[in-house]
Amino acid sequence: MKILLIEDEAALSQVIMQSLLAERYLVEQAFDYPSALEKISIYTYDCILLDIMLPGGSGLQLLEKIKELGKDESVIILSAKDSVDDKVRGLELGADDYLAKPFHLAELHARIKSIIRRKNQNGDDVIVYKNVAVNTTDRSIQVNCKPVNLNRKEFDLLYYFIIRPTKLIQKNSLAESIWGDHIDQADSLDFIYSQIKNLRKKLKDNHADMDIQAVYGIGYKLI
Amino acid sequence: MKKSLKNYTLSYITIIILIVIAVWATLFYAYITEEVYDNVDDGLKNQKIEIIRAAYQDESILKTDTFGINQFKITKSNVKIKHIEKSTFRNELIYMPYDEDMEPYRILTTYFYGKDKQMYRLEIRTSTVEEDELKYDLATALIILYFLIIISIFLLNTWVFYRAFKPFYQILNKLEQYQFGKIRESEPIKSNVREFTQLDTEIDKMLDRNEKIFKQQKLFIENASHELQTPLAISTNKLELLLEDEELAEHHLITISETKESLERMIKLNKALLMLSRIENNQFEAIEKINFNSLIFEVCEEFADLIEFKGIKIKINEHGTFTIDFNVDLAKILLSNLLRNAINYNKSLDGLIEIKIDQHHFTIANTGKGRGLSADHIFDRFHKETSAVNSNGLGLSIVKTIIETNKNLKINYSYSDSFHIFKIQKL
Repeated sequence: MKILLIEDEAALSQVIMQSLLAERYLVEQAFDYPSALEKISIYTYDCILLDIMLPGGSGLQLLEKIKELGKDESVIILSAKDSVDDKVRGLELGADDYLAKPFHLAELHARIKSIIRRKNQNGDDVIVYKNVAVNTTDRSIQVNCKPVNLNRKEFDLLYYFIIRPTKLIQKNSLAESIWGDHIDQADSLDFIYSQIKNLRKKLKDNHADMDIQAVYGIGYKLI
Repeated sequence: MKKSLKNYTLSYITIIILIVIAVWATLFYAYITEEVYDNVDDGLKNQKIEIIRAAYQDESILKTDTFGINQFKITKSNVKIKHIEKSTFRNELIYMPYDEDMEPYRILTTYFYGKDKQMYRLEIRTSTVEEDELKYDLATALIILYFLIIISIFLLNTWVFYRAFKPFYQILNKLEQYQFGKIRESEPIKSNVREFTQLDTEIDKMLDRNEKIFKQQKLFIENASHELQTPLAISTNKLELLLEDEELAEHHLITISETKESLERMIKLNKALLMLSRIENNQFEAIEKINFNSLIFEVCEEFADLIEFKGIKIKINEHGTFTIDFNVDLAKILLSNLLRNAINYNKSLDGLIEIKIDQHHFTIANTGKGRGLSADHIFDRFHKETSAVNSNGLGLSIVKTIIETNKNLKINYSYSDSFHIFKIQKL
């Protein structure tokens, strides 16, 4: 998987790259409009992470160029401007997703994974980990080839874990990703705990080989 | 008590004119009576000369010893008088059959020698002004005059005020309608009075100056929040990477996680500030007809897990459909902020949220800890009633700012029957 990271802020670019490398992606960086355009014109990527405000031009212009060049790279806009207009325009210009800065890296990974999957596979998309299969198309799961009923939030939770198994996921990124910004930090621990307890129970009752482990004070990981 | 400028000047004018008229009336009265007596006395003196002259020619006149039709009498006198030419005057009340009353008379008394060397005393009388009546008439006339003057001054004053002070009231009105930070559509006041145009331009200049400072301040907050985004993103993301480092001990991870949580609070605060700036800068322009009923259900659905988790009961009563032209994103933010508020500050046991929707208003009421809150400050930025850790103090101020984007909406807070009630109504 090859990802082009277009971000003018070197420190931010660096930390995103490290995180992507840890997920075993191939990452190339571009720090301004001309070099980004050059890279886009020459190479092909699976996914482009695009900052909107760039030295030498705007990310939205780059989006137009990508379209002109007839490329079919998936694009995720990373913008410090959390404005609805930018989001709408970006998506209209063919971006696949929009993430407002600052974001959780976990959230970025989730978005990249779902975009790449959407792009690479047509038809049913199933993620398998141990004896659990998650079908993201019809949002169903099977444990040991037997269907298990999960409600919407439980499915979202499981999905968030299963795309990055064994990784520590913080309760805040979980809460924000699944319940949006509405939840306050003070509540998130208990709230997430109760939701995860339900999910764990369902997994256990259906003899799944995996478990969601709590890492005290920080979050959870799927093992 | 505060009077209007018009009545203020009028009240002074009324008093001053009263004093002026009173002084003037006294002087005028003294002068008039003086003049009247002077005239009467001149007439009497003239008569005296004519009577004495006539008495020399016709001695029978000397026998007129009572006041008859002649209005004079001559009596013999034995008094020794040095200056016989000297006339004395006195006033006397005499019965007058016409009026059936005593009337004032002016009586001239003088002495003269007749042809027969005999000394006679001559008294001539004439009806003179009734001072009482004069005073009375004068007073009546003056009172009428006084009121006429006051009325005409009042009318004149009103008219002049209306004409001359029109720009002044326009300026006043302009200031009354002025809202800080809102665009002014007023035109410069047209007036021929230099002071008014000056006042108007000075006020405009002052407002422009203040708004400029205000805008700079707003821009500063916006830029500062904006510039904070990247460093915040870098720090949290680096911490996030650190948390994935398997070599770190658990207590390190916990510290990192706590640091990250604090940073995330800052991110939320920063986002809220940016949100406020964006709302104030009218960056949510697209207006459409919004059905708040369905939006309320939608938002409640979003919060359903949290509401259930907190053991809060929610009741929605629809008595009508609340629709208004609004920006859909702002409407969602508005409702979720209100609902979040109702959830977060609810009782920890048996909490209740009641939403009532009517055609012209809707209310979101929640049970809560403690007493009613200060309605004056509840919407202020960074106002916190309790030391809630998870509150950034901006939620309700965002609500207020959103409400203010629509001139036809109003929000108020009240507390009754242990319910905190937020009421949004159309004006």
